[in-house]
Amino acid sequence: MRQPAPWKLALLLFPGLGLILIFIGAVIYIAVAQSFGYYNLQGESGWTLEFWERTVGRRAYERSVSYSLYVGIVSAVLSVALAYPLALWLRKPFKGSLTVSAILKAPLLIHGIVAAFLFLNVISYHGILNQFLVSLGVFDGPRRLQNDDNAIGLLIMQVWKNMPIALLLLTGAVQAISDDVLRAARDLGAGVWARFRKIIAPLSVSAMQASLIIIFIGALADFTFQTTIGPTNRQSMAQYMDWFKERARWNEAAVVGVTLMVLSLLGSIGLAGAAQLIFRGRRK
Amino acid sequence: MAAISIIDLVMQFDGFTAVDHVSLDVGEGEFVTLLGPSGCGKTTLLNLISGFLQPTSGRIEIGGKDVVGVPPEARDTAICFQSYALFPHLSVQENLIFGLRQKGTPRTQRNARLEEIVGQVDLGAHLDKLPNQLSGGQQQRVALGRALAVRPFVILFDEPLSNLDAKLREQVRIEIRKIQRDFGLTAIYVTHDQAEALAMSDRIFIMNNGRLEQSGAPEEIYYAPRTRFVADFVGSANILDAEITEELSQGRWHVVTPIGPLEIQSKSAPRAKSLPICWRPETAIAGKEGPNALTGTITHRAFQGHFTDLIVDLGGTSQRLQVLRNAEGEGDKVDFSIMPHDLIFLEPDG
Repeated sequence: MRQPAPWKLALLLFPGLGLILIFIGAVIYIAVAQSFGYYNLQGESGWTLEFWERTVGRRAYERSVSYSLYVGIVSAVLSVALAYPLALWLRKPFKGSLTVSAILKAPLLIHGIVAAFLFLNVISYHGILNQFLVSLGVFDGPRRLQNDDNAIGLLIMQVWKNMPIALLLLTGAVQAISDDVLRAARDLGAGVWARFRKIIAPLSVSAMQASLIIIFIGALADFTFQTTIGPTNRQSMAQYMDWFKERARWNEAAVVGVTLMVLSLLGSIGLAGAAQLIFRGRRK
Repeated sequence: MAAISIIDLVMQFDGFTAVDHVSLDVGEGEFVTLLGPSGCGKTTLLNLISGFLQPTSGRIEIGGKDVVGVPPEARDTAICFQSYALFPHLSVQENLIFGLRQKGTPRTQRNARLEEIVGQVDLGAHLDKLPNQLSGGQQQRVALGRALAVRPFVILFDEPLSNLDAKLREQVRIEIRKIQRDFGLTAIYVTHDQAEALAMSDRIFIMNNGRLEQSGAPEEIYYAPRTRFVADFVGSANILDAEITEELSQGRWHVVTPIGPLEIQSKSAPRAKSLPICWRPETAIAGKEGPNALTGTITHRAFQGHFTDLIVDLGGTSQRLQVLRNAEGEGDKVDFSIMPHDLIFLEPDG
């Protein structure tokens, strides 16, 4: 077959790859350029490290980075950890398994902001949970369940919203593992944990990595849940970026934005690498 | 003491009885085969022995211990699966020592065992390869080696050769039997291939509809089938409905069949006046000889290499003959004889 001319190949690729590169490339370019002083909306444009020095040196920046990493990593790991047993449970069809599967994936159809408001009603001072626990006698009176320092409420919402994504990806992966392979492992003496650790996890590690990355990136840049149910004494990076934007400090917002992108990339590589190393090991 | 004792075992699934009051014993170091058509319950029985299924009732004893309720990972058995079930992400070496690792075998012992197994199954050149880089025969050997490495008290084979081509199947069949003998393993082999069962087994258990139809040495199963099913399933057989008319002398009977009157010589007496009888196609003798001389018309002829298959019409009843050399063609008449001792009384139907 004759090789098409390079310009024809480029033209064929352009509608797909070209648009992706233009849109993603433009965003990255603007954010990076703005963080180094270009596209300055309020002053002179030009190369400078001033905005990086000013932002990175702040205590608030450090706190938002560590807080966002905490939310991103814990949400991703918890969502995947919760999705695995469910995916294994739903691996073989049983009566009602389709309904169970649909219910578990329902959070994908509910907007985060709606779920966050519902959750707020549940955990608020006079909310359903407080009333229920008081009626059971577990609490003497209503307690403050919002604004917890460790963002437990926020993590619950993140896992609730993201677990179905992991479940979707993992269900397919664990269903692809043959029954005989699992039976052979069991027959050779592997218990439940050994079967997961040595067979199931290594054979579904790609789906695990995809889940971790997708959830981590989303949770790292969370704004909706954080502003609705997150602790008020903490700021996520998205919130911090918004804080700069509200004050028309676009270049500093861009610094946080670039940090967010770099952390997304590094965090994804880190999580995927860790999953690979823990569950697949290094091949000789 | 039997290595395995199965006592009145029943397995039901939603009202369907897959294993129906089966009892059998397997001696230590014995190679037995569960033979039967698809759906006869042989794989279910294997799963019950390995612990992947729990029986509805009955007992399974391995090495004298009742193992009902004991999970597969705690039973001293190892299975060679039909699909090989190799771990696709692990190298041949890692596959071979998987079971030893799970059992916490010390490294030095593990390495020694690996060396021994690798020699037995001849996989030394492939230890670092992944299963998908091996041929079917090599994968089969890895599966066998992996099961042998844990030195199980009982090794179970679930149709392990069905994915191999005919030539390789024959070769692996000999290898399996040799390894089983070398290691002195007690083996239970499940197959629907009667040739495999006849060639490999010390004893064969024929299963049909969840029940044990007959058991015995391969020769006994082949030459003295007890039922119509066994006669038909193991090898080829001509089965005829017969009516006993007279006992000619001690051990000789005269019967009337759709192909004419015949004389039967049998050590065991017939169990009813009307019953099926059978004879094997290769026992037919060309020409007219003895009391059972017959003439038929060849309706189909198939050259099979070392013999020729003939389907012969005898007054509206078709019979199969296997003869070494045959010059006649389809439509020709053929004379043949069946010796009285080659005719076998079967159990009455029902």
